[in-house]
Amino acid sequence: MHPVFRLVNRNLTISLNMGFVIWQVIFPIIYIFVAGFAYTALIHSVPFGSKSLNYPAFIASGMIGFNIMNSTLISGIIIWNDRRHGMFEQILVGPFTRAQYILSNVYTIGIIGLVSAGLITAIGYPIFFKSVEFNVLTIPLVVFASMTGAILFGSIASIISTRLKSSEGFNVVINTAFLFFAFVSTAFYPAQGAPPILATAFYLNPLTYLVDVVRVGIFGNFTGTVGYEMIILTVLAVIFFGIATKLLSRLEI
Amino acid sequence: MLCIEAKSLFRSYGNVTAVDGIDISVESGKIFGFLGPNGAGKTTTMKLLTTLIPPSSGTITILGIDASRHPLDVRKKIGVVLQQPSYEPTLTVEKSLEKYGMMWDIDIKTRRDRVEELLTAFDLQDIRKKKNDDISIGQRRRVQVAREFMHDMDLLFLDEPTAGLDPSARRGLLDYIKGKVRDGLTIFFTTHILEEAEYLCDEIAIINRGKIIAVDTPDELKNKFGREKTIKIRIGQMQEISGMLQGVRNYDVSHDEGTVITIHSADSEQILAKILQVLQSNNIQIEDLSVVPTSLEEIFLTVVKNSNASSISSGK
Repeated sequence: MHPVFRLVNRNLTISLNMGFVIWQVIFPIIYIFVAGFAYTALIHSVPFGSKSLNYPAFIASGMIGFNIMNSTLISGIIIWNDRRHGMFEQILVGPFTRAQYILSNVYTIGIIGLVSAGLITAIGYPIFFKSVEFNVLTIPLVVFASMTGAILFGSIASIISTRLKSSEGFNVVINTAFLFFAFVSTAFYPAQGAPPILATAFYLNPLTYLVDVVRVGIFGNFTGTVGYEMIILTVLAVIFFGIATKLLSRLEI
Repeated sequence: MLCIEAKSLFRSYGNVTAVDGIDISVESGKIFGFLGPNGAGKTTTMKLLTTLIPPSSGTITILGIDASRHPLDVRKKIGVVLQQPSYEPTLTVEKSLEKYGMMWDIDIKTRRDRVEELLTAFDLQDIRKKKNDDISIGQRRRVQVAREFMHDMDLLFLDEPTAGLDPSARRGLLDYIKGKVRDGLTIFFTTHILEEAEYLCDEIAIINRGKIIAVDTPDELKNKFGREKTIKIRIGQMQEISGMLQGVRNYDVSHDEGTVITIHSADSEQILAKILQVLQSNNIQIEDLSVVPTSLEEIFLTVVKNSNASSISSGK
C-alpha cells in the first residue's frame, strides 16, 4: 500500500471514534429537525432564485456545508494531537516524508468531508426532496463544494494547530473561529433581509460560498454569482492549503 | 562493515553549537552506547543520525546510504525510539501495535503474529485492551519500545528507552535487546543509567558540550580512566583524618561525610595498608570497610569533569 494511504488509514482509525460519529450525526439532526421546524413559525419560506424553499429544506442544505466544515476540524485535531503526543516526530523518523504526511491529512479531510456531505444529504433528503433538482450537472457541484470546502477549512484548522501549543489555546481559537464561520454565514439564514453590515460579513466568510454552491447542487438555479463563488472558494482553498503546507514543512522538531 | 559513519558533524541553532564536529563509527551487529550529561548533544546527534534534522555541515552515512541525499531510504531501514513519549491516545495497546505494523506495510498475518509475540515479550498481555491514555507512563514506554519491533530493521536507535521503567521491566528490555543483537541487529543507544551501558554496550562514546571526549569499549574506558579503586571506611565516630594522612601519597579523599570516608587511589592496596595503620595508631575504630573497582559512572563523572575543566581553562 502507498505510504499516503497507510497514513490515511491510520488517521481514520484514530479519528473516527463513537463520540465523533455521534457528534457528526446527532448535531445536524437536531438543527434540521428541531431548529428547522421550530423556526418555521417565524420563517415561512426562503427565496432561492426562482424558487421558494421551506425553512427546514433551507437549513438542511446549509447543514451539509456546516458539517463539511465541522468534520474538517479533525485535520487540525490530528496534527495537534500528533505534535502533543510525539507522533509527528515518530512518523517523520519512519518511512514517510512530510509531503506524504500533509497529503494524507488532505485525503483524510476530503474523505470525511464527502462522507459527511453524503450523510447529511441522506438525512436531509426527506426534508428537501420536493425541491431537489439532482442531475449530472448539479451533483458534481456538491462534490466540488465538499472537496474544496474540506481542503479550505482543513487547512485553516491545520494552520491553527501548527501555531498553538497549549490545548486551551487551541480549543479556544478553533472554536471561536468555527463559531464565527458557522453563524456569520448563510448556513442558517439567508443574507437577504439581514442588516447590510451582517449581510456583507456573510460574504466575507468562505462558509457562505461553500453553502451557496451546495444549495445550487441540490436545488439547481446555477447563476454567474455562484460561478464567482466557486472561483473564490477554489482560490481560498489553494492559498490556505499553501500556507498550511508551508507551516507544516517548517514545523520545528 | 560500518553501520553508522558520521564525519565532522556540526549542528548549530543560531549561535548555539549543539554538535561540534564529531565523528562516529559504529560496526554492524554491535551495541553502541552514547552517553553524556543533560544538554551535551545526545538527542541532537540522534536526530541528525535519524535524518530528523539536517546537519549544518559534515557527512552521515547510514547502512551505506548517504543520509543527507537519501533520508527516506535510510528511514526505511532503521527503527527509532525517541526520548519523548509517542503514542496514539485513543487506541488500545494491541491496536497501536497493529496499526504501527500497518504503517510499516507489514502484511496482516505477520502483524498479528508479532503483536502476540511482543505483547508477551514486553509483559503487555494484561493491558492489551486498555487505551494508551489509560495506562501508566512506564507501561506506555514499554508499548512505545515494543511497537518499534513490529517492523524489520537493520539498525535501531534507542534514546533513553528505559526511562520510566521499573527495574524488572528494564532488565527485561535490555535482555530482549541483547537477543535482537545476537540476531544481527545494530543498536545506537543513549542512556543516563551507566550500569545499563556497562551491561549492554560493546562500545561507548561520551559526549560533552557537543564534542566526543572519550570513545572505547567499557573495559578499555575503565583501564584508561578507572585504574583506581574506591575504598570506603566507616569509622565509629566523626573524625577529620586528612591531617593524620599527611605523608601518604597517591590518594584522593573525594567524599568525607561524617563517619564515612571515601578514598580513591590507583595504588589502593598500599594506601589501604597505610590508612589502616594510621587509624589503628590513632585508636580509631573501623565499623565497616569495602574496596570496589571504579564504576563506569565514576569514570563518566571524571571524564566529564575533566572536559569541563579543560573547556573553562581554554576559555570556551
